[in-house]
Amino acid sequence: MITDSVPLPIEFLPCDSQGTIVEMCGRPCQVQRLEELGIRQGCKVRMVCRGEPCLICIEGRRISLRLGDSADIFVVPTVE
Amino acid sequence: MPTTAASEKSTRSVALIGNPNTGKSSLFNALCGLNARVGNYPGVTVEQKVGRLTGSKLSIDVVDLPGTYSLAARSADEAVAVNVLSGELAHQAAPEVAIVILDASNIERNFYLFSQVYELGLPVIAVLNMWDRVEAEGLTVDAEVIAKRLGVPVVCTSANKRKGIDELRRTIEQTLQSPPSKPSSAQLARAQFPEAFHQEAQKLSEWLHANGRKTSLYQVDRLLIDSDGHFQKSLCQSGLHEINTQIEQARERLRVAGCKVPMFETKARYGWIRQLIDGAVTRKETRSASSSDRIDQWLTHRWVGMLAFALIMFMVFQSIWWVAKWPMDGIQWIQGLASGGIEAFLPPGALRSLLVDGVIAGVGGVVLFVPQIAILFFFIAVLEDCGYMARAAFVMDKLMTSVGLSGKSFLPLMSSFACAVPGIMATRTIESRKDRMVTLLIAPLMSCSARIPVYVLMVSAFVPAIKYAGGWISLQGIVLMGMQSIGAIVAIPVAWLLKRFLFPGEPATFLMELHSYKWPSMVVIYQRVWERVVSFVARAGSLIFCTTILVWAACYFPGDHKLLDESVATLEQLQKTQAIAPVSLEQTQIEENQIREEQIEETLGEVNRLRSELIETSFMGMAGHRIEPIVRPLGWDWKIGVAVIASFPAREVIIATLGTIYSLGTGEDEKSQSLQDQMQQAQRPDGRPVFSLATAMSIMVFFALCAQCSATLMTIRRETNSWRWPIFSFVYMTTLAYIGAWLTYQFFESWS
Repeated sequence: MITDSVPLPIEFLPCDSQGTIVEMCGRPCQVQRLEELGIRQGCKVRMVCRGEPCLICIEGRRISLRLGDSADIFVVPTVE
Repeated sequence: MPTTAASEKSTRSVALIGNPNTGKSSLFNALCGLNARVGNYPGVTVEQKVGRLTGSKLSIDVVDLPGTYSLAARSADEAVAVNVLSGELAHQAAPEVAIVILDASNIERNFYLFSQVYELGLPVIAVLNMWDRVEAEGLTVDAEVIAKRLGVPVVCTSANKRKGIDELRRTIEQTLQSPPSKPSSAQLARAQFPEAFHQEAQKLSEWLHANGRKTSLYQVDRLLIDSDGHFQKSLCQSGLHEINTQIEQARERLRVAGCKVPMFETKARYGWIRQLIDGAVTRKETRSASSSDRIDQWLTHRWVGMLAFALIMFMVFQSIWWVAKWPMDGIQWIQGLASGGIEAFLPPGALRSLLVDGVIAGVGGVVLFVPQIAILFFFIAVLEDCGYMARAAFVMDKLMTSVGLSGKSFLPLMSSFACAVPGIMATRTIESRKDRMVTLLIAPLMSCSARIPVYVLMVSAFVPAIKYAGGWISLQGIVLMGMQSIGAIVAIPVAWLLKRFLFPGEPATFLMELHSYKWPSMVVIYQRVWERVVSFVARAGSLIFCTTILVWAACYFPGDHKLLDESVATLEQLQKTQAIAPVSLEQTQIEENQIREEQIEETLGEVNRLRSELIETSFMGMAGHRIEPIVRPLGWDWKIGVAVIASFPAREVIIATLGTIYSLGTGEDEKSQSLQDQMQQAQRPDGRPVFSLATAMSIMVFFALCAQCSATLMTIRRETNSWRWPIFSFVYMTTLAYIGAWLTYQFFESWS
């Protein structure tokens, strides 16, 4: 596996491809909420359905996301 | 509702807490059977579920706390969980043991909540539920190692398969009888918080103590971590406004010291979890798309998903009508049997009228809707439990954001198409208060099942039976569909206005976990349907029942019914004689039967005339004439006016009231051709017909938009803890209905 080094916002992750969360920023309480749900730096994430909201899969759990301006999640896509 | 049992000395109490979708309901059912007591926590609208642990020698109450990801106490649910666990809720003692349910297949995230509960100081049992998934998902979890590291009992269960339940029962008993020693502060996740935070927490604790407030260490932590959190608000409400400054200053000092609030908390807790499960949990590195993912790629697709949703809903509503038809016919048959029985035993009079027209019609009116409600809740429970409803909310989020709401508002609005009462209760799941309020206020606009009888009656009587496209499309069908959707269409600008002016703010973020598809648990579904049916009968039922009796009394008194009762007795005697009269071809017999037939007709006319007169002079009639000027612009006469006013407590009352008013007695349903005939033939004093297409349309639009349901208004009152919102709903919906009905009447009058 080769890892591309350019981080991109999670919503740009193509459908059915994987990535690793490298940064999360935004309103502190929103970021905290995301972390409580298990979405945090270093986690592997797979895009199930793109769009707004999008559907991601983290550690086998599907989570729907529409964060608007409250937070941003950046991922580094995993290229197989 | 305070738990009386919890206050009994002999009864012990334990609490269940866990993330949503960890099988908490299944575990609760497995521990307590199906005899849960459902009520509300005192002073808040969060539902409280308490059951008695079965198969135990001790008397143990199990309190089911709302599913939550953390104890940060942001929503009403979370605040209740914290308050119950820390024993801060009035009239309710703290549980003696906290049972934390963790999804064994997603252990890392689930231990986050555990790490918080652990700090409350209660004896804790960790339950690794969904143990069957561990192997299926290629995980290995060493529960013994985790138990040893934690120093608390760890039990592995598969609640849906009833595995590990006996061991959990024994562990609960053992923990109650000999609680494990409290963990040392070094064992807790908060030990990994930065030193600067510990110092600030200590300072704030001392300051609170000096100001006469007894707070636990956990509460002090939350005060510092959660911006505008639950504890801060409650301290402010108790008069300690200075707390805000103290917290601000402490946070500023923490910022200078390099401690990022609140981010350090999650880092510290996950660090603690990593140490806890190090070497005890192994997970397969990557996984390919599961079958759930494959289904999701279609069901959550922007267009395919929407189409699938429309199709599923169409099938659900169709089957409600088909399936509900049989039990409803059965109920009506029993109702007829009971009325017939009373009429055979009691002579005509006030008592008989009260029993037949009031009690039986009232109870029947309530019970008649139970099959529909039960079937609808069955489908909703199935769709929810198998995991589909969360997908529907996901698909609808895009549409909802256009009016400023989020996908979370979709589910409550969906249930409101059956009945607004459970729809409003379902708004509890919406975290954003503003979104919840808007959803709750527009929910009664969705066309509930109680409006359907009114539409059917009006459409079949006054909309011409014109057919288009070779008979495939009928005008009546189009009008009926239009009436069904008018509320939802009007709800769009209403939601936008409410969101813009009363509850301004960006659409709340949409963050929701969609659990994997699974076969629905029949026990859970049975329980949900049963709970809802019982609450429907108890709450709305008692109301419709009382209203029908009041309507009956207002229509019956103060008139003298002696003459009418005598006529009814004569009529019944004649009908009885006619029924047993021999059928003969003899001329005299034929003539005799004919004369009796005429007498019956004449007496029937007399009975109807007397009823008509009595209703004119009844309290209802007197009130009707008073309000006539108000309803005249809508094209209504006093009879429609009072029928509509009588149906303010519950919409379906209008059918019974119109029947009563049109001298046909109650019990005339919308299919009754005679009520339709009477309405079609009814004339105003000047000879014009009372009902026209314009009148019928104006009545239907009024019913589509008006808040004619006191059960809904009472539910709004209960859910918002204030009279302000039910009054607001009532005023805005009635105004909207009046304007809508007036515009409709004017439009159709000028058009025809």
